[in-house]
Amino acid sequence: MQFPDSLFPSCFGAGPPREVWGPAPASGWGERGQVLEAGPDRRQVRARGVGPGNRGVGRAGPALTSYLLSLQCGTAFVPRRGRTGESWEPAEAAAVPVLPPNAGCWIPMLAPRDILCRGILRKKLRAGKFRAALDFTKQLSHFFVDHPDDAFGSLGQLLHKNFFLGDSKLKVSVSRDTTIRMTALMEEIERLEARRGCTQEHLVPRLRWFSHICRDWLFEVPLGVLGDYVHEELLLQCADLFFNDSPMGGALAWLPPEDTGARTGRLVYPGGRAMNHLYFQDVVLEELPRAWGSPAQFELNGRIRQVAAARVDGEDFVGVRSDYHCGVWSVPGRIRAAPAPLQVIRTSVPASCLTVSPHLPGELAVCTQSGAVYLWSVETGLQRLRHDPQTMFFRDHSPWRWSDFTAHPRVLSCADRTGLQCLDARAPERCHFDLFKVGEEADCQQGERVMLPMYLGRAHPSHHLVATQFSVYVMDERLPLVPMLKWVHMMKAPPFFAHLMPGESGRSHKVLLGASSTQELLLLQYQGERLQDWVCRSACQLVGPPQKLHSITDCLQHLPTQLPHCHHLLQQRLGAPAAGLAATLQKDRSQESLLVFQLSEAGDVFCQRLTHKIAQPTAPTSVDEAEPSASPQPSLAVLSPGAALRYRRWLKALFNVCGEPPRHCWLPILSQKRLFIRKELQSPAGPSALQGQVRQHLRQVMREKGRIQRWDTPDALTPTLTQHPELAEGVDTLSTRLTAAWSGDWVQWWEERTSYNMAQRRRALRERRRQQKRARSRCSLSASFTSSVTYQSELSELSDAAPLPLSPSHPPVLPGEGSPLRSSPPASPAPDEALLSSQNLRSRGIPKERRKTLRDYLAVWAEGPPEPPEPPGSQASQLCIPSSQSQLSQSQLSSASQPRRKRPRMGF
Amino acid sequence: SSHEHKLNFQKSKEACLNYIQDAMLQKQWKRAAEFLTFYIEALEKDFSREYMGPSEIIWRIGSEILWHHSHNGMKEFNSFIEQMKTLAITRYLKVSLEHVFHLLCNGLIDEAYQTLSLAESWRHGEQTSVQDKEMKLIEAYRGLLDYYSWAKQKHILLKHGQDGFEDLSVEQEMHNCFRKAAVNLKEIIKIPGVWDPFVKCYVDLLEFYGDHDEARQVLNEYAYNSKFPANPNAHVYLYQFLKRQGESKKSLISALKILHDSVPSHELMIDFNIMLQKSKKRKKRRLGLEVIFAALDYAGCKENVKAWSCLVKQLKQIVISEKHLDWITQEWNSRRDWWPAFHFSHYLAKRNWQENESLSYEKALVAGILLGKDCKYFKYVSHQGCKAQVKRFRMLKKFVNKHNPVYLRISG
Repeated sequence: MQFPDSLFPSCFGAGPPREVWGPAPASGWGERGQVLEAGPDRRQVRARGVGPGNRGVGRAGPALTSYLLSLQCGTAFVPRRGRTGESWEPAEAAAVPVLPPNAGCWIPMLAPRDILCRGILRKKLRAGKFRAALDFTKQLSHFFVDHPDDAFGSLGQLLHKNFFLGDSKLKVSVSRDTTIRMTALMEEIERLEARRGCTQEHLVPRLRWFSHICRDWLFEVPLGVLGDYVHEELLLQCADLFFNDSPMGGALAWLPPEDTGARTGRLVYPGGRAMNHLYFQDVVLEELPRAWGSPAQFELNGRIRQVAAARVDGEDFVGVRSDYHCGVWSVPGRIRAAPAPLQVIRTSVPASCLTVSPHLPGELAVCTQSGAVYLWSVETGLQRLRHDPQTMFFRDHSPWRWSDFTAHPRVLSCADRTGLQCLDARAPERCHFDLFKVGEEADCQQGERVMLPMYLGRAHPSHHLVATQFSVYVMDERLPLVPMLKWVHMMKAPPFFAHLMPGESGRSHKVLLGASSTQELLLLQYQGERLQDWVCRSACQLVGPPQKLHSITDCLQHLPTQLPHCHHLLQQRLGAPAAGLAATLQKDRSQESLLVFQLSEAGDVFCQRLTHKIAQPTAPTSVDEAEPSASPQPSLAVLSPGAALRYRRWLKALFNVCGEPPRHCWLPILSQKRLFIRKELQSPAGPSALQGQVRQHLRQVMREKGRIQRWDTPDALTPTLTQHPELAEGVDTLSTRLTAAWSGDWVQWWEERTSYNMAQRRRALRERRRQQKRARSRCSLSASFTSSVTYQSELSELSDAAPLPLSPSHPPVLPGEGSPLRSSPPASPAPDEALLSSQNLRSRGIPKERRKTLRDYLAVWAEGPPEPPEPPGSQASQLCIPSSQSQLSQSQLSSASQPRRKRPRMGF
Repeated sequence: SSHEHKLNFQKSKEACLNYIQDAMLQKQWKRAAEFLTFYIEALEKDFSREYMGPSEIIWRIGSEILWHHSHNGMKEFNSFIEQMKTLAITRYLKVSLEHVFHLLCNGLIDEAYQTLSLAESWRHGEQTSVQDKEMKLIEAYRGLLDYYSWAKQKHILLKHGQDGFEDLSVEQEMHNCFRKAAVNLKEIIKIPGVWDPFVKCYVDLLEFYGDHDEARQVLNEYAYNSKFPANPNAHVYLYQFLKRQGESKKSLISALKILHDSVPSHELMIDFNIMLQKSKKRKKRRLGLEVIFAALDYAGCKENVKAWSCLVKQLKQIVISEKHLDWITQEWNSRRDWWPAFHFSHYLAKRNWQENESLSYEKALVAGILLGKDCKYFKYVSHQGCKAQVKRFRMLKKFVNKHNPVYLRISG
């Protein structure tokens, strides 16, 4: 192996990094780095694009003649960065799905708002001194509600006979001695729930007394211990939210075909709802790659974090890492040969790395978070090379470890966040050297940490890539500690995935870097010429500008317009963090293309194609200005028909899988529990004759499959409705609001709707009552509605339907489609107009003076502007759509209550 | 309020920068340039106290855009950079240095030299350690350019000398260049670092003027000073120097021995092995075997025919003489468990035979000696060779069969 004759000049310091500049936005641009004298035939090499860059300078033989040779050509220099690279252009406007969407509805990952105190988060973030504040009490209470069996299981079973939760009085004298009535306590708790968010939250003595007595024995796990566990778990989850390095390395692998001409390769990726199924899918590389046949599938018992693959002796070895298990599969090179599982190991501490040896069949390197590094051979088992919970060069809290192979099959590189060391597996204690150190040696910054090392063996046997959150380095193990190449990558999130595509016969090597959370994808090219017999004559250079590739989210703008909730679903799905990266070069006659596969955490695999544009052989005026990409790229705005079809199919499949409407779409419901006491709401026992009559009628209509247009006995309806509170469908608030705005009293409408000021409302009520007193000496409840209802009926006269009766309501019967409200009954029935009839109120034992207040109170809500007249053609729908005042009041009441936020759940 | 104004300004600045970045990463240079003209406003209200101010950002982005998308070539670039030098005053040296690199890459050596001289005389406030380093580099590059003009003069002089014509002014000029170059180059190689081009030029100068002791000292310092990184080239330069000087075998071997310790896979290891094989001392020949085995451990030397033939030669010698078989045993012991899979698999036999017949020949011989005649690699290759009626493969088979007992002794 030849070493470059001459390396780019660089200073070499020692010690901790001195520079402090953090993520600077443009620091990767505009630098040549250093220059080095180019050999005499360098230009010819570049003009042809291929060929040996064989330099004569400094090789055996008198230096003088070679210098003279070079001088005849004029001394030429090459920069470390900025030489022209190959031009690869995206063939499509966005990444295209390769496989159908991952089965099972994807559960979005935990978001910061789920476990952190919300107000604090925002305030702290703004102040810049962020320390996460965990919403511990909320999580613990969720635990009690969601997992009561785990929380109180055995004592709950023991005590359930002694706790009485019903409403009635305890009658039997025997049970009275041993049973406690808990109803009052429950009510207190419910009231407490209602007052949630209230600043003056007083704990009721009864509750305090209960918790004081029960705290020590009621819980399955002692409360202190449980609290500690929950808190610990929360801290872990919280740390994961900000930086989760478990997907490091990526869970996607491409197994290229055995001979380069073939077009069927194999994609290895995780799938399933918990990402615990391993798939080997044959993929045919065409204009758009497509799956061929059904995949080989293995079910594993853990989420797949990493899939690593390497080819040794024509056979692919695929290593799979989940938290506590690592497995290895072998895939013979023949097309459609079945993959065979070889061995599985179990670790007691989560594994953080699994790499497959490119040198020897069935050898892998495994690291665990306890700081252990193992060489795992399928034949001989595990060999521990190192066990050190401490980091190598300075103290860092991260337990992450990584290991990879080097040019020597018995020497492994071993990394933590502070740097890389190489260990000889034959004598790991004695033989080791430092390959990379976060420090002045590599001109690092303060706070810089190793994110992902990768062995670049396929490009050059002794090169390694080291990515930190700020820069990428190419290291040569023959000259440790000094980077051959350094470039500030300017990515927004640290790179988690890297993929190398070696360039053959003097062409540039391509490295893809991928970030997880931001889905960024960057294509770099570098050159350290690899010629026959591994001759590497020139020092490493970064060539061409870096290039950003499409991310999965980018395709959102190319998809057909969706309904808002579908769009939201799609946004969430496509925006899922990336989980893997793979790529392959494909040669098709004269056209060469680069296919980049991307896996998201939702389990979707997308692909994009880049085509190689060969630069026109223009006569270069100067050494380095033969830039072909001077013309601005035409931005691809439209998808090709093939890609559009792919998207349509994918979307259809996605909505079939995740079609059910999200649960949080429920209409807001107002609980009436706070309005009446329970006794007041108890309906008279036993169905009345009228109710029976109506039921009979209903049944008959249902049997006939007809529709109830109007009740035959309108006066008899009021009690019926109490049975069907759920019939009340939400009235379109938008139209009422628009109507209000049209008639000019929108401000009033808004105030009524939003006002929390009880005093104001009470004042308005009083005012109204006074007016009503003046207008009528005595009014019934139904009469109080007439004013508006008359208006309504006047309007409906426009249509040629029969005049509606002047009763407070004509029963609305909904069309048969199930509304969310109907499909499952609301937690607490809302008050409807039936409640307002004085007869009914009396029967519920509401005293006279309160009855009046109540009516007035509800009348305020009821007093909405009438609906605009319907066009004459839609009488049927007018009859079917509830339009009475009561409906209006219903919707207004319900919208006054706060919509219930969906509770975040922890992953217990 | 002014605070809010600042905050908004900061935000729009960041957004603008993001757009520029996005355009550049998609190679839309024109679009990026348009955004950059807006970003220049950031200079007017520079409230930032960040490490990298807007002036440096503009310099970096501007020069990147001009590299890739410029109509007037160097002229436009030069005028842009001149403005940037005054704008990013604290980064003057860095900007100048990068400017020089750009000029050099475009073959404008004289302009680069002028820029370097100008930068050398620049002073502004107290020099930081970074600026100190940059100044050293500027001086070093000027020294390098002086060296090149020295070499040019020398070339003219030699040519004229051949013509029997002497030119005193050229000679004067040449010595002048030598002095300037030597001073600056000597300075930079005192600082720890990788200074391959500078060291090479400096040694060349010294050698020309016959200052071999100084040259030797410089190379020794460069190779063996522990503050310097373990640069294989430093040892190579020293070795080449010693070879040019016609030094004794012993000193050459000791130079290469150190290179072997740090980079066992270096190409010079083949020369080293050849040198050691020729040696009469047993210890050296033993070292030679070690060296060649170690070189072949590396993936990079897997298909190096030269290295394999060196090993074959030495193995044959030992096997035929049947002396020092224990050397082979010792070397083989640490490789027994992985060399067969690494070098001598059936797959490799097939591939080597198809791609490189002579490689497969050498390897088959090694496999036959180390693994016996039943080894897959040997069997496949010798079979194929005999089938193809190649004479040396028949010889190979014969040789291995004859010396099979040796294999038994090695493996035993």
